[in-house]
Parts: sequence; structure tokens; C-alpha cells
Amino acid sequence: MAAEPMTVRSPQYVGARVLRVEDKKYLLGRGRYLDDVVLPAMAHAAFVRSPHAHALIKRVDVSAAKALEGVVAVLTGEELAELGSAFVTELQRPDVLSVTKPLLATDKVRHVGEAVAIVIAESRYLAEDGCDLVEIEWELLPAVVDAEEAISGDAPQLHDDVPNNNVAHIEFATDGVDAAFAAADHVFGKRFHCGRSHAAPLETRGVVADFDLGTEQLTMWSSTQLPHFLRTLIAPHLGLSEGDITVIAPDVGGGFGLKAHVFVEEAIIPLVARRVGRPVKWVEDRIEHLAASGHAKEIVMDVEIAVSDDGRFQAFRGRYIGDGGAYSGFPWSCLIDPLPAASLLPSLYDVRELGYTVDSALTNKCQTTAYRGPGMHPGHLARETLIEDIARKLKIDPVALRVKNCISSEPYVTANDMHYDGGSYIESIELAQELVDYAGFRREQLAAREQGRYIGIGFSPFVEAGTWGSEGARALGFPAEFYDTASVTMEPDGTVTVTTGTFSHGQGHHTSLAQVAADRLGVRLESVRVVDGDTSKATWGAGTYASRTATVAGGSIILAATDVRDKLLRIAAQMLEVSPDDIELYDGHATVTGVPEKTLPIATLAGIGYFGGPLRPEGQEHTLSATRYYDAPETYSNGVVVVIVEVDIETGAVELQRVVAVEDCGTMLNPMIVDGQVHGAIAQGIGGALYEEMVYDDAGQLLSGTLADFLYPSSMEIPSIEVSHLTTPSPTTEGGMKGMGEGGTIAAPAAVVNAITDALAPFEPEINHTPVRPSDVLALVARGPAQRTPKP
Amino acid sequence: MVAEGDRTVCGRPALAVVGQAALLSLGHLPDPLGAGCSALTRSALLFLVKPSRFNYARPTSVEEVIGLLAAHGDDAKVLAGGQSLMPLMNARLARPELVVDINAVAGLGDIEVNGALRIGSVVRQRTIERSADAARIAPIIAAGLRYVGHVGIRSRGTVGGSIAHADPAAELPAIALALDARMAVSGPGGQRTVAAEDFFEGLFATAVSADELLTAVEVPRPPAAARSGFVEIARRHGDFALAGVAVSFEYVDGAVRSARIACSGVADRPLLATAAQDFLQQEDANDPRTFAEAGRRAAAQFDPPSDIHAPGSYRKQVIAVLVERALKAAIEGSDGADEARR
Repeated sequence: MAAEPMTVRSPQYVGARVLRVEDKKYLLGRGRYLDDVVLPAMAHAAFVRSPHAHALIKRVDVSAAKALEGVVAVLTGEELAELGSAFVTELQRPDVLSVTKPLLATDKVRHVGEAVAIVIAESRYLAEDGCDLVEIEWELLPAVVDAEEAISGDAPQLHDDVPNNNVAHIEFATDGVDAAFAAADHVFGKRFHCGRSHAAPLETRGVVADFDLGTEQLTMWSSTQLPHFLRTLIAPHLGLSEGDITVIAPDVGGGFGLKAHVFVEEAIIPLVARRVGRPVKWVEDRIEHLAASGHAKEIVMDVEIAVSDDGRFQAFRGRYIGDGGAYSGFPWSCLIDPLPAASLLPSLYDVRELGYTVDSALTNKCQTTAYRGPGMHPGHLARETLIEDIARKLKIDPVALRVKNCISSEPYVTANDMHYDGGSYIESIELAQELVDYAGFRREQLAAREQGRYIGIGFSPFVEAGTWGSEGARALGFPAEFYDTASVTMEPDGTVTVTTGTFSHGQGHHTSLAQVAADRLGVRLESVRVVDGDTSKATWGAGTYASRTATVAGGSIILAATDVRDKLLRIAAQMLEVSPDDIELYDGHATVTGVPEKTLPIATLAGIGYFGGPLRPEGQEHTLSATRYYDAPETYSNGVVVVIVEVDIETGAVELQRVVAVEDCGTMLNPMIVDGQVHGAIAQGIGGALYEEMVYDDAGQLLSGTLADFLYPSSMEIPSIEVSHLTTPSPTTEGGMKGMGEGGTIAAPAAVVNAITDALAPFEPEINHTPVRPSDVLALVARGPAQRTPKP
Repeated sequence: MVAEGDRTVCGRPALAVVGQAALLSLGHLPDPLGAGCSALTRSALLFLVKPSRFNYARPTSVEEVIGLLAAHGDDAKVLAGGQSLMPLMNARLARPELVVDINAVAGLGDIEVNGALRIGSVVRQRTIERSADAARIAPIIAAGLRYVGHVGIRSRGTVGGSIAHADPAAELPAIALALDARMAVSGPGGQRTVAAEDFFEGLFATAVSADELLTAVEVPRPPAAARSGFVEIARRHGDFALAGVAVSFEYVDGAVRSARIACSGVADRPLLATAAQDFLQQEDANDPRTFAEAGRRAAAQFDPPSDIHAPGSYRKQVIAVLVERALKAAIEGSDGADEARR
């Protein structure tokens, strides 16, 4: 389907930098988050969590905790298992093993922070006092914290039904890949270890559950990205039907993929609320959040590129070992990182011979979950840093080397059958070169080196697999149905209510999706209200993650609004005595094209739609409402992130001097919101490059248990980010939108690392690990062959 | 919930939690794993964020404070700005029975200039950062404070609290050492003053005993030719330093005299780089090699600890650079803020 204009005139709202309708609420401090939910007679929960990485539970003594005044109940893993069923994570593919996670640990714990018991009390203070009194006798087991070692056959086993601690071994190869490597002029390879990260949103997880003993219905609030999907997935574990559950996602203070999962706590809190007969609240503390929610992105990668003498990439090969932690995150599984890393190996390069293997190790660490650009960010780092190394070794400019091997702007099918829908792959690189004055920078760089200053530039062009419709998910290796639904209702007074199964948790959907509906219906933006985040109010949907909302929710709203629009056109045509084809809906009015005096307010048409009797076209249903689903086809954004750094070779400090982004996500609903997504995504990418890492010691003790240890960049560390746009509308999606929001996180880490590599070129550095700390930089300088230039 | 960017909330105490042995070595904190439990019978206290029950007192005189401390000993803790104690209590790493809030104690919030600069122990870091008296007598204080957390933290955190907490990577203890400050300490036996060199005894340990209170920090009036500089390197702005250097000296006719070079992040407490100080006393400060050599001699003196942010070898290497840069910054009259990077 071509990207058709949304109205006869150019759109009134789509593409405009409309101010966010959400801002007033947040700026006034009127957001209502999970912890703001307060119910009568509400009790508070705290969890007793494991201090050990791997241990058998020999005995749990809760008697002292139960005896404490103010404690309402204490439940162990055994007791929880009687109330609800364990989580089983499985992908719909035969080469992936299922992994079971009990609600609370019963026989053994597999990572520091795993929940063992829950204490319900009159206050959180008392609940924690109760946790203090729970005594557990442990028998310590040896722990494995290295992914490669975990699957070596020689490591402690975490789960009896996951042999070798390997959830999946997946292989892909084109027929000629080995021959291409054998015949190549050059084969370059490197091992890259992307550090273990954490989405670490400002608002941690949290659940409030209220089970009504009279109606036997459950209302639960959760800080989640996917309220409907949560209800669908949690109901079987609670022994309830979906119809008996209402899930409400209040304002959510960041998710970044982590909250696009279902966690055991989301089953436990409703179960205990029903058990104690009172509403129960649990707000995750920061330490549990860092230790026991979801880690991300740790993959050990071996990537090889076969290259001809003149710098043509002939084949790519990769081996990806993901460190999934102790369990397989529900529902996406621990493949959420290594599989997209491997699938997107070709990126924007025209390479017909391709091979990769994926292993997904279980280790005695926290489970992994999605975090903005899952897998794609590490995979991109491995490939793009290798390309940088190749350029230096072959003495080819790194940008020229990329352009030389880049696909054209036309739709392209990769060697592993990903269907790109066209983009500005080379054009975006060229625009970025112009924006940073690449040639000028190279001159400046030489002059700086003369003065003993080390500045460098890193280019990181990317293809972003966003949207997550059924096709897109399958292309990344996750075969299931993913779509979304929307209802569009014009009320009798002509205002519009849109409901969607996606959920805005900071992205401004109540603005951008309203822009879509307003244009389609020809009404003013302030007439449109978007409702989401409540399963009792909005249509079913899979939620917001994977850069999918503009495309799938936008598409479903276009379809539903078109149905309503058709009714309005018929009413208007009857009233104005012309054909529906001659009616234009714009800015709240229906007008005969070219005859501006023949016009009616759309509110009048709405009134006729509901109450117009004979004025309503014959046979037309009462009311003006439609519900439609949309499953977007594969679509891919693209762009470039360029970073300029100065490296202090005496302290290892890296200063980001300039960050330039070019983004092409097809039709932009609201370029201001797109800019915000680019800013945020790049900031998190910079975090990945320089700061964020969850560190365990050899015994599986977590060393990054606080935000003084797990560092993410603050506003002080992020320079101003310059964003430019190219627009190549998708030829396949409704409206021409492509999923966006993760490209910056995917691409910025490699841009930063490549800029450091470039700055330190005289030392011939090879960076093989992120984050790059000041001490790592000094180690690169020390290893290099260059003499330190004496300072002037 | 813990606020983002509040380094003390998320801070080093909790880092120590996870390195359990390190925590136990602190001595003045309770065994986090539950005293009396066998090795295999431990509650998981790592995951608590609300303090255990405590009593609270808000005395108005130093005498009352001393009386309470004397009566409760190790079971009492002094609350000033709360930037270290509250996170420790929230994680139940500190479980005082009594919290003695000294914010209402008369006189502790005063800044006096009487020859020396006397900074009461609950003077907020932000207040002294903006004090004209401090800028005149000891500009290095403001220069160093800019590296302490963020404005919000400095608006709460106190000068005395940071010095009494004695984090080995903190800015104010190193600055106090460089300035040869004296700490006024009150106890049941009256008042005494302790030189900075004798004050810091180890990791989070000072010369203040359980029944004593740090009441003020006294900075001597500097000679006319005094120079000072502060530089540090941290992973992020506002983090505890990987390493930092505060220098103070007299600059007379191109010579550096009476130098005090205090280094943070190099040991369990801030230390003076005495070998570098002695070297500078005899050398020509106009020779660009002099400060570099002083840096090398400073580094040679230390064997800094490692953590997840940097190995000790890095700290050792970078302390040489920071000493050189701090000396240069002091001579050039810049406060060091720009010198940290370059």
C-alpha cells in the first residue's frame, strides 16, 4: 500500500511539531505513578531475597517474622506454588528450550536477589522488619558467571532440564559463506564483549493488587509497558479468566524495554492480595531493581569479515554467546539479545554470504530482559568497531569503506531474508559528512595532534529493526503474531475518542496518535483524546516496545478512523447534495471541494450520525465508531550517529565534543517527538559506550548494586545533540511510518568507540569491550607503539 | 525510592554492602548478615530500603549532644546533612537506636572569621561554596566543592558531615588536609582540636570518638603569597573521585615553599604526598620538569586500591598527572576546574 496523503490537502497535523498535550500534567507535578495509588486498608509487601548466587534452600523459618506485630502474612516459595503456577518461557521454535521460573524460589536460588519469601505488613517498614526476621539455611553451590564457561560442558548446572546451561543453539549460513572466507584476500576478525547493562528507568517496577472478594474480580496496577498483554499472560498463573482482571498502567516513569515483560512479582502480589483479603502494594526498591529485575545486552561476539584487496566486503560471519542470566525472561526469552544481534549482522552492507551461530547461556546472574536496541546495540558494536579496525589496516578511510559497501536506497532483501523497505542508507552518511565537515575535521585533527591533542571522529550508520509486527518479529527470529488494535469513536458532539492497545509511557502518544486521528477525520487536535493503559477502557493490544507504536498503533488508527471518516463523508454528501468524493474534511469542517461556502461543522455531522433520523443516509448504522487491527509489515528505519571526542591521553578522560545524528524513519508524525527519541536513545547509547555495566565477581556477587556503582550518564555527560532528518516513507506501511526510537542506542555506542579509536590512531588501539573507562583508555595508550607527543 | 544522581544514597556504603568483607571491616557498622546467624543461615538484608526503628533527638546545645552521645555510645549516630547516614540507615547498614540531629544546635551553622576561618560543622556545603569569606581565605574550598555531587546534594550536605564521614575519595577531607585545617572536637572532657593529619584514621574512621562531636573546621589564615589548586578525575561529574589532588603552598619569587599536596582515592584516607612536597621545597618551579617530577614522586608514594571503576594502577598513574596539573593550576591562578580535563 502506498503512502497516500491523509487528507486531500496536505495534512494539518501529521509532520508538525505539535506541543505535547501531556506536558501540562507532568510540568504541574500531576502525574500519577504506581506509588501514588493508595487504597483503603492497603497492606505493603517486601521480599526476602537471596544473598547468594547459587545455593540450595535447606530450611526457611518464618516463625519470628510471623510473630512480629504488624506483620499480616509471610509466604514462602512452597506456599506460593500452591496459589499460582510457575512461569515457563518458551519461544515458538523447536531449537529453543523452555525455562521454568518458580514464583518464589523453592528448592534453590540461582542468582543474588532472587526472591525467596514475601512479607506482608501494615507498612513497608514493618514488612522489611519482618524480612529481617526470616531465617534461611543455605547450602552453597558453585556458581558460574561466564557465559562461555557456562556452556562449556564443565560448569555447574543451573536447571536440570536445560542441559549444558544452553537454552538455544541456532545456526544460519548461506551455502557459499565458508568458501567466500576461504577465498578472500583478507579475513579480519575480532572478539567483542559488550558489558552487561540495565535499562534502570527512574521509576522502578511496582504492583498494587486489589481482589474484590464480593465480585471475585481483580484490579491490578502495574508499572508496565504492556497492560493488555500482561493480563493475557498473567491470567493463567492466577487461576482467573481475563474477563475477571482489569490491568491499569498508571503514569510510568520509563521502561526502555525492561517493563515490556511480565515478572513473577506481577503474579505474586495479586495472589497474596487475594490470600490476605486486602489490597497489597509492592514498590520495588532500587537495590532489588538493579539486582533482580532484568539485565541486558551482555554478549560475547566473534565477528569476521572477508574483504577483497580493494575493500569490498565479501562475507560476514559471527558467533554470539548471550549471557542470559539465571532465567529466560518472560515472554521474550533470553534470546532477546543474542538473536537480534546475529539477525541484524548484515545491517546496511551489501553482503550475500553470511553465517552465524547463536548460543544463549544461563549463568548465576539476574535474568536478562529487553533494553532499547536489544541485541542490536551489541551486535552493531562488534561489526562497526571491526570495520573501523579494517579501515585502518587497509589504509582506507572508514567512512569511504562503509559507503563503498553500502546498499542502495531501494528495497533490499538481506542474505538472511530480512526485507528492508528502502531508505537513505548512503544519503544519510553523506549528509552526516557534510554536517560535520568531515574533510575539515581531518585537517583539524592533524593540527591538533601537532599540539599533542587527540581528537577523533566516529561514524556509525545503522539500520533499525523496529515496529515488531508479525513479519518484523519473525525476521528477527521471534515467530508469533504481533499486531495492534485501535478504536476510533466520534462522540455525538463531534469530539473523538481513540483507544489503543499500545501504551504511552513517556513517548507522547496522546499527542502523536491524536495527530493521526485528527488528520484522518479532519477535526482539530484538541477534539481528540487518546485513551490507553487500562484494559477496561482500551482495545486489546500487545503494548508499546520495539519502536512499534507509530507504525502499528498509527496504522490501526488510520484504518479505524477511515471507517468513521467514510460515514461522515456520506452524511456530509447527503446534507450538501454532492458525492462523498467531493467532500473535504479539514479543521473541523466538511466542505465541498472548491466551494468554500458549502460547508458544515463536523460536530453537526456527528449529531446527525447519532440522532439525525431521516437525515442519516439510508442504511447507515447509528453511531460513529470503528475498531480495526493492524499488523505492520517489515519496515526498517535508518540513519547515522557521528561523534567527535577529545581524549586526554594522560587521564583517559573522554570528552564528547559533538554528537550529530541523521534519522530517517519515513513519515514523521511529530518531528519534535522524533527528535526527543533520538536524544534519549543516543544518551543511553553513550551510557553503553562509557558508563553502564553490571559487574559480578567470580562468586556471582553483584558489585554494581547501586547507582553509584552502575553508572548512567546524567545531563552533565551528554552534550547537545544535533539532529537532522531525511524522509523516505515506507512503501509498505499504512501512512509510510517506520518504527523509530532505538537507532540512537543501537548506533551511538559504536560511534563513541570508533571516535576514541580514531583519536588514538597513533597508538593503534583495538577496543574490545564496553563500557570504555578512563583506565581502559590509558591501557590502550600504554600498549600502543606511538610515543607520547611531548606537550608544548 | 532513591533519587537519581544522589550519589550518597546509592553510595559507597552500599558498594561496601556487596563487598561484604569490606563492609565488615568498617567496624563501626553492624554485621549486615545478622550477628549470631551461622554462616549458612543468613537473612538477605541487602534488599531493604526503609530504616529500622530508631529514636530521634534534636538537642539545641553541644552539651546536650555530648550528653546523649555519652549515654548511648555506639548506639547513637549524629545526623547533620544526612547525605551519608540516611542511605546507610535506609539500607539498614547503620541501625542506630538513637539519631541525634545537630541541625538545631546553636552556633554550629556559623561561619566566623577571626584570624582563621572557622566553619561550623552544620554549615551547608553550598553555603561555604558561596561564602565571600571562604573565597578570600581559602578559594580551594569552592573549587573543590564544585566536584561534590550536585547543587541539590551540596545544599543539604554539610562541611562537618563530609569530614566526619571521612570517605577516602571525598573532596573536603583532602582539602582540609591541604589547608592544614584543624578540627574542633567537643566531648565529655571539654574541647580539643585535632590537626587534619591526625584526624583521618582510616576508611570512614576519624579521631572523633563515640562520645564526641565535631563542632567546627578551622582553616588558618593563609600568607599573602598563598596559592592553591584542586583537580580530580571521576567517572562522571559529581561522582566520588577516582583520584583527586588538593595543593596549597606559598609562591615566592618563582619558588614553591611549604607545599601541602593532599591526595584522595589513593588509600584508606586522604594522604599528603610528602616526598613530592620535600622535592618541591628544593627545586626550581619555573622548570616545567619540576612539577612532572613532583607528580612522579607523589605517585611513587602510594599503592591505591582497586574497584570496579578503576584498578589501583590507574589511580597511581593518574595521581602523577593530577599533582602536576594541580600545581600548575595553582600557579596560573585558575581554580583547577578547567585543569581537570587538560
